[in-house]
Amino acid sequence: MIPAEFNYEVADSVDHALSLLAGYGPEAKLLAGGHSLIPMMKLRFARPSALVDIGRIAALSYVEQDDGHIRIGAGTRHHDVHHSPLIEAGCPLLSFTAGLIGDPQVRHKGTIGGSVAHGDPASDLPTVLLALDAEFVLTGSGGATRVVPASDFFKGFFETAIGPEEILTEIRVPKLGASSGWSYLKFSRRAQDWAIVGVAAIVERSNGGIGSARVALTNMGATPLRASSVEQALAGAERDAIPAAAAMAPEGTSPTSDTNAGANYRRHLADVLVGRAVEEALGGP
Amino acid sequence: MTTLSRTVGAPVNRVEGKAKVTGEARYAAEFPLTRLAYGWVVQATIARGRVLSVEEEAGMRMPGVLAVITHGNAPRLQVVDDGELLVLQDEQVHYRGQTVALVVASTLEQARAAADALRVSYAAEPHDVLLSADHPRLYAPDHVNPNYPTDTLTGDVEAGMARAEVTVDETYSTPAEHNNPMEPHSSTAQWDGDRLTVYDSNQGATRVHQQLAQVFGLDRSTVRVLSEHVGGGFGSKGSARPQTVLAAMAARMLDRPVRVTLSRQQQFSMVGYRTPTIQRVRLGADRSGRLAALDHEVFEQTSTLYEFAEQTALFSRVMYATPNLRTRHRLVALDVPTPRWMRAPGEAPGSFALESAMDELAEACAVDPIELRVRNDAAVEPEGGRPFSSRNLVACLSEGASRFGWADRDPRPATRRDGRWLIGTGVAASTYPARSAPSTASVSAEANGAFVVRVTAADIGTGARTALTQVAADELGVPLERVDVRIGDSDYGPAMIAGGSMGMASWSWAVVKACRQLRADIDEHGGVPDGGLVARADTADDIAAQANLARHGFGAQFAEVRVDVDTGEIRVPRLLGVFAVGRIINAKTARSQLIGGMTWGLSMALFEESVMDAEFGDYLNHDLAGYHVAANADVQGIDVSWLDEHDDQLNPLGVKGIGEIGIVGTAAAIANAVYHATGHRQRHLPIRPDRVLSP
Ligand SMILES: Cc1cc2nc3c(=O)[nH]c(=O)nc-3n(C[C@H](O)[C@H](O)[C@H](O)COP(=O)(O)OP(=O)(O)OC[C@H]3O[C@@H](n4cnc5c(N)ncnc54)[C@H](O)[C@@H]3O)c2cc1C
Repeated sequence: MIPAEFNYEVADSVDHALSLLAGYGPEAKLLAGGHSLIPMMKLRFARPSALVDIGRIAALSYVEQDDGHIRIGAGTRHHDVHHSPLIEAGCPLLSFTAGLIGDPQVRHKGTIGGSVAHGDPASDLPTVLLALDAEFVLTGSGGATRVVPASDFFKGFFETAIGPEEILTEIRVPKLGASSGWSYLKFSRRAQDWAIVGVAAIVERSNGGIGSARVALTNMGATPLRASSVEQALAGAERDAIPAAAAMAPEGTSPTSDTNAGANYRRHLADVLVGRAVEEALGGP
Repeated sequence: MTTLSRTVGAPVNRVEGKAKVTGEARYAAEFPLTRLAYGWVVQATIARGRVLSVEEEAGMRMPGVLAVITHGNAPRLQVVDDGELLVLQDEQVHYRGQTVALVVASTLEQARAAADALRVSYAAEPHDVLLSADHPRLYAPDHVNPNYPTDTLTGDVEAGMARAEVTVDETYSTPAEHNNPMEPHSSTAQWDGDRLTVYDSNQGATRVHQQLAQVFGLDRSTVRVLSEHVGGGFGSKGSARPQTVLAAMAARMLDRPVRVTLSRQQQFSMVGYRTPTIQRVRLGADRSGRLAALDHEVFEQTSTLYEFAEQTALFSRVMYATPNLRTRHRLVALDVPTPRWMRAPGEAPGSFALESAMDELAEACAVDPIELRVRNDAAVEPEGGRPFSSRNLVACLSEGASRFGWADRDPRPATRRDGRWLIGTGVAASTYPARSAPSTASVSAEANGAFVVRVTAADIGTGARTALTQVAADELGVPLERVDVRIGDSDYGPAMIAGGSMGMASWSWAVVKACRQLRADIDEHGGVPDGGLVARADTADDIAAQANLARHGFGAQFAEVRVDVDTGEIRVPRLLGVFAVGRIINAKTARSQLIGGMTWGLSMALFEESVMDAEFGDYLNHDLAGYHVAANADVQGIDVSWLDEHDDQLNPLGVKGIGEIGIVGTAAAIANAVYHATGHRQRHLPIRPDRVLSP
């Protein structure tokens, strides 16, 4: 478990990191918590020529809020997302889910930005951020920023909208209101393992029924996916519509078969878990 | 002589516990030696064929490289029957992952970098890596591990089946599983002229030292193997593995010490695993469940390098009384690594099949599964008819039933529900042979009042060193602190390995005998003379003189499961094991052994599965991220207890061995409980959630 040779640089600011990235060219990679990248390097699935370590840039680790949003620095650790009172108050779905990632060691090292930038469809936070309609702030050369909505961000298996000379600097999450219920259900075979399938659900409650629902899926395709058919079927619906809506969860997905589960079982799980997650988000009758 | 029993049976803490937690205890890869060089194994990337060339010269130009050893330049070894040890002797590739070169360099990193860059070209041939029950090359091996008959027949199974009022005829399967001890396989070899010293991670220094002497054509007295602390083996370190020979070979060629440590991934191909099994079990019984016939037929694999035939049907030769009993093993030599011992080889997979089938029979006869086993309890060993030295299976079942709360069990499946959870309970029986093997030991009385015991035992994390300290202290009639037990050094003389659950039975016998001799010598001298006294013992004659009895431990395993009705998720809130395993020497470490075995049984039931990639001829999941071993949170309540069993036909202390019986029957108990919860039989391990939903 020893990676191939690479150069290593510590960046002390986002600007510094960008100039180091430009200097090393496309074979260089950013290093945040290292809990996805280093394992891949050890297995030699990744062989970057250089690592630019942004894990020590204190300015990238923060949680702030304005009226409608919570703003989270990309370098914020899962542990801090999990324990942040601001996130807990404004977006408990996110803090809850951060607490389900791996084990305490992983949560103390891994960052929200790394998790999003890595683009692994089995990751939990990307799904939740997709359901939350989060926005991602990317900073490029000269400090220019652009904002990409989650719906345009995840491009493919380990592929995102981040350009080769860009850094994800901030994640913006609209706050959930008092009428929002939420759930994240993660199904794995062995405790603390990655999700075989995960489901995030946010329900706007209205008169005991569903006003609108947002549902997103982990590990049901090359990227986290919104379950649009389910969402449409639930809009303005009553509780008893949930099973039929959940049955549409597999639509538009393309799960893989691996040693943990077959694609059919994943589709079945998506159905079951979507039903449960929406029920949980809607809350008791 | 009176024996003062003060510590045997007590929950004594590990004597080396402090050394282990402070890091003072040294494992094989931790001995600093001057001019130590590091070897990295280059493994075949085809499953069958020939090595055409290795670009040795390019490898030699890599930084720090001292040698690139291939079949072209490796010294010739003496031919031994374990072909896995004949490393780099020819260009043939027998399985993907076999050693095709060893790169030796000044540092581990340099060795690995060069090994990675080394170019090897092959002439690949089509490979055959999949076991099936109708494989055209199935054959009957000469015997099964270690030396049991391949087939047995008592009576007439077909006639018994024909007469039976109730029959069960089902096929069960278990996947390949890998041992995965925490400590990797590691060997560090050093030559001093013709004397070879190896720091090695193994389950028995005696056997490894004998094998090294054979392979290198040396006199045994010139080979020393040291393995003071070992971090688990579970069978995969029961004899020498390729890295030991490679280290010694490289050290000799370079005339400096060489260390070869395997990575986790390499351990998935080079050191053994449990063969997959396909098992057909046929049971015939009268309506009350009394067996008229039992037929257990097993299909399993070996490699083309070495024949290992797992004794899977042995379990059926021991368990239940029946006039008509047949067991058969059929093997096919595939282009795969050699399967080997893995905790309870034979009994672990065999019990899954027979104890599941017994549950099916219980249901078919509408007899309680415990009652069914009681009705079929055997007065003599079913195969061969030898009397048992002791057999307390029924007592384990009834003790377990009362502890577990079995009495009010409703046998109907799929009727208990708590929200989305279906609940079920299951039982299975367990057995494991209680054998002893010849061993030697010495004990010396030092002038300062201390006693030093020397025995080539191995403590692979079991607590063997501590238990032997208790045994010696009691025999000598002194407190534990005055006894120093030294193990893991082949110079102490031949002894059994830590394997087959025979370690404690075998070593304690030699230690007891040496201690008794020493006490007699001390009495004769009227005390310990200034120069001290030494007594030696060898149990070979004692063991040869034993009566011909059937010696086995027995146990009963109980499980409660909860199965999610929609996802098929399985939780095991309760496991209970009750065992009759002779005398327990250390209540604390024994408990850990049994709990460890049962935990593995749970892991075997639900998770462990090495998946063969037929196209590449390799196990797909070859690390602990892909090969699931139960984590703490997967294990809920495990309760263990044992009967107070006295058997004076075993060895001086009446020890039966506890290392393996804990895993035997656990998977069947869980599978039977899943049936009781859901109404779907689980005949194939592991019981994955998708299998629960689509039976
Ligand atoms: C044992 C284990 C268990 C785990 N279990 C889970 C789990 O259950 N659920 C889950 O979701 N995750 C899990 N993870 C992954 C974990 O959450 C990772 O920490 C996370 O996916 C990546 O974050 P990181 O900060 O470690 O990123 P790194 O590994 O440092 O980087 C990952 C990738 O993102 C890029 N990158 C990082 N930061 C930025 C940035 N700011 N801008 C642009 N690119 C960037 C890097 O260049 C790299 O390509 C597990 C990891 C381990 C080791």
